[in-house]
Amino acid sequence: MLNKESGYVKKELPGNIAKIGTVFFAVGLILGTAGYFIEPVRASFSYLVAFMFLVSVGIGSLFLVALEYLAGADWSTPFRRVSEFLSSSIPLLIIFALPLIFNMNSLFHWTHTEAVAEDAVLQGKAPYLNSSFFIIRVVVIFGLWSLFYYLLSKNSRGQDSTGDQRLTKRNIVLSGIFIPLFAITATVTSVDWLMSLEPHWFSTIFGVYFFSGSVWASLAALTLIVVLLKEKGYLSQRINNDHYYSLGTLMFAFTCFWGYIAFSQYMLIWYADLPEESFWFLQRWTGGWEYFSIVLILAHFIIPFGALLSYPAKTNPRRLKFISVWILCTHYLDLYWLTMPNLNVSGFVFSWLDFVFPIGILGLIILIFNINAKKYNLIPVGDPKLQRGLDFTLH
Amino acid sequence: MEVDYSTEAAVVEGNLRLAEIDRIISRPIEERPGKKYLLALSISSSFLLIGAICVGLTFFYGVGMWGNNQPVGWAFGIVNFVFWIGIGHAGTLISAILFLLRQKWRTGVARFAEAMTIFAVMTAGLFPIIHTGRPWLAGYLTPYPNQHGLWVNLNSPLVWDVFAVSTYFTISLLFWYIGLVPDFASLRDKTISKVKKTIYSVFSLGWRHSNRHWQHYEKAYMILAGLSTPLVLSVHSIVSFDFATSILPGWHTTIFPPYFVAGAIFSGFAMVVTVLVFVRKVFDMENIITLNHLERMNKIILATGMMVGYAYGMEFFIAWYSGVQYEQFVFINRAFGPYAWAYWTMVSCNVIFPQLFWFRKIRRSVPAMFIIVILVNVGMWFERFVIIVSSLHRDFLPSSWGMFVPTLVDLGILLGSFGLFFTLVLLFAKTLPVVSISEIKAVAPGSQPSHAGNHNE
Repeated sequence: MLNKESGYVKKELPGNIAKIGTVFFAVGLILGTAGYFIEPVRASFSYLVAFMFLVSVGIGSLFLVALEYLAGADWSTPFRRVSEFLSSSIPLLIIFALPLIFNMNSLFHWTHTEAVAEDAVLQGKAPYLNSSFFIIRVVVIFGLWSLFYYLLSKNSRGQDSTGDQRLTKRNIVLSGIFIPLFAITATVTSVDWLMSLEPHWFSTIFGVYFFSGSVWASLAALTLIVVLLKEKGYLSQRINNDHYYSLGTLMFAFTCFWGYIAFSQYMLIWYADLPEESFWFLQRWTGGWEYFSIVLILAHFIIPFGALLSYPAKTNPRRLKFISVWILCTHYLDLYWLTMPNLNVSGFVFSWLDFVFPIGILGLIILIFNINAKKYNLIPVGDPKLQRGLDFTLH
Repeated sequence: MEVDYSTEAAVVEGNLRLAEIDRIISRPIEERPGKKYLLALSISSSFLLIGAICVGLTFFYGVGMWGNNQPVGWAFGIVNFVFWIGIGHAGTLISAILFLLRQKWRTGVARFAEAMTIFAVMTAGLFPIIHTGRPWLAGYLTPYPNQHGLWVNLNSPLVWDVFAVSTYFTISLLFWYIGLVPDFASLRDKTISKVKKTIYSVFSLGWRHSNRHWQHYEKAYMILAGLSTPLVLSVHSIVSFDFATSILPGWHTTIFPPYFVAGAIFSGFAMVVTVLVFVRKVFDMENIITLNHLERMNKIILATGMMVGYAYGMEFFIAWYSGVQYEQFVFINRAFGPYAWAYWTMVSCNVIFPQLFWFRKIRRSVPAMFIIVILVNVGMWFERFVIIVSSLHRDFLPSSWGMFVPTLVDLGILLGSFGLFFTLVLLFAKTLPVVSISEIKAVAPGSQPSHAGNHNE
């Protein structure tokens, strides 16, 4: 059921996108593997950052899809597919997690039994922080996400040919189940892969912190792709300034949300100044890490806040493209800042490896997106809310 | 009922003409109060009177009239403060955040919720002043250069509270009043009484419904919405700092700010639903405050209830995960200690019962939602009780363990706070339009030409 009014005609993406994706991915894969043989520990940490980026954009995008269904939003329907395609990396996560699982010893201090034996605190955490339970959690969580990705996207695509409203209903129910599960699983994932890198440290807000960055980056990826595709004529031409404005507003809102969460975490730990909590921030305030911390405040909050505050900024395609790329880079920096000081505790150490893995992951995301865009419609042509979404106006 | 996802539900039902909307909303103001109204007012003002007597006793004899002791230095006074501040969150959320999110249905409930915000913040603001036992010294809470050289301790979150709450109150009041200006003008044009005409004229600030007026109005409204949004979040965040900046196990935890905000919205919406269920019935406003409105609010209650549940779970998990024995003790003590009954009341009212809102039938059933929102109100009061009292009552040394038992004065003041709040709500319902006349007209079916040009196809 093709919607005539949408002005959408399916076009193949240009062939060089696949080439770019393949080259990037190959560069990442080859140099990353080489790096692993040169500096295995550094490579593991470096790869963990890139992997967490893949995770956060993947599940953040799936969350946006589920949120649209559950909230009954219509304005985002014309480009919901973009988020669906971005989340299609989820079933692959388990494969890309394998190198990390095989290198748990270099990543996680708590896997060293002799270190745990001498450490009463880590002994107390052993029922949760142990290798076998960790792997079980990873498999169960990635499995659950894959299942929901599969069901949600299958129903959405099925609607392209049938236009069956019952599929919308079914996806609403699925989203209702997914979002609470997502809250728990995303939290566990952030605790497992990021917080437990420093197994002595703890913070109740950490899951929310990860969530805020994840959705922020997913929105940026969505915005970037929507603007690019719209400009090149791959999406409906009825996507207008009001859609752009809404995307910009959401990025702005999540900029503030991240700032709020990051501030809450920092301020409360700083104010109470308990040694078992504050050492984590002190690590990020020595040996060059303090520059990362300051840059993070500026780049992750202050600059996007200013750049997205005004109405014209949120509707200007050039500004949106620039700030989306900015946000994606900054989100990477945030993950880097969470991860790397656990390896280089005494101070920042430069390594070429840190640039290899993001290139590979970027290539992977491009490749997966391209494959999906070839196979499926770029807008959900059979979705009952599509017309409403195209008619969307702010006033 | 099957839902058609290709169309949007109308915000105003019953095909009301614009004049009918005017009539329905302004009728409660024009009619003389009935017997039921006077009965309700007398009950709530009796409660208020009881509260006033108890506050008088407190001022005369001192805070010793309360159940507070060592180690429970904070109890009902702070519980009630946080509870009422929380109630005051729904109004601005509806009027500001839902406005920024372009949720047109907000118009039906915004005015009443905003009024409730103002009254709740007023009620809440009394408690810290009462708690000091010396209200005549409250002026020193504001920093001003005085002869004594006294200055507030700006390091203290309690002082941040003074700023946060007073700013919030000011902005909420302004926001509410700006929204009322066009309605005052409508009432002014409608009324035949000279006295009323004068009063409405003064408050309508010379409003003539002109194009230029509306332009300014919309700009002001947008700016105030933008200002209020961070304020809503900041107020309860700062209230949570009162606890979280300390090093007391059970209070010091990083999730407190978003957790308190979610809880505040949760309890605020519950209170708004509690009251609106009556308002729409008594004032025949079922076509303006529709079941769809209530259903949407119930969805927000469900969502924020789950956020609160997430925070409970996370606190528990991290208390164990942290390996800090004091943290662990506090949470075990909460769930299985002498205040376990309060803890489980909180968990069941806030996390378990709202799950019923997953079902469309229950979300749309007035009696069912009424029971659930009352339970939420109870649960949220107990949440603050659990956080405050159960963290304090067993200090680090077993020699400083104790129990808190409220006195009659404590209970009287709690009752009085409800009396104050509902008296103000009742007076508001009879003196001002409880729904924004102008905004409702703007969202009534057929009022907005569609830009896409394919309206009503």
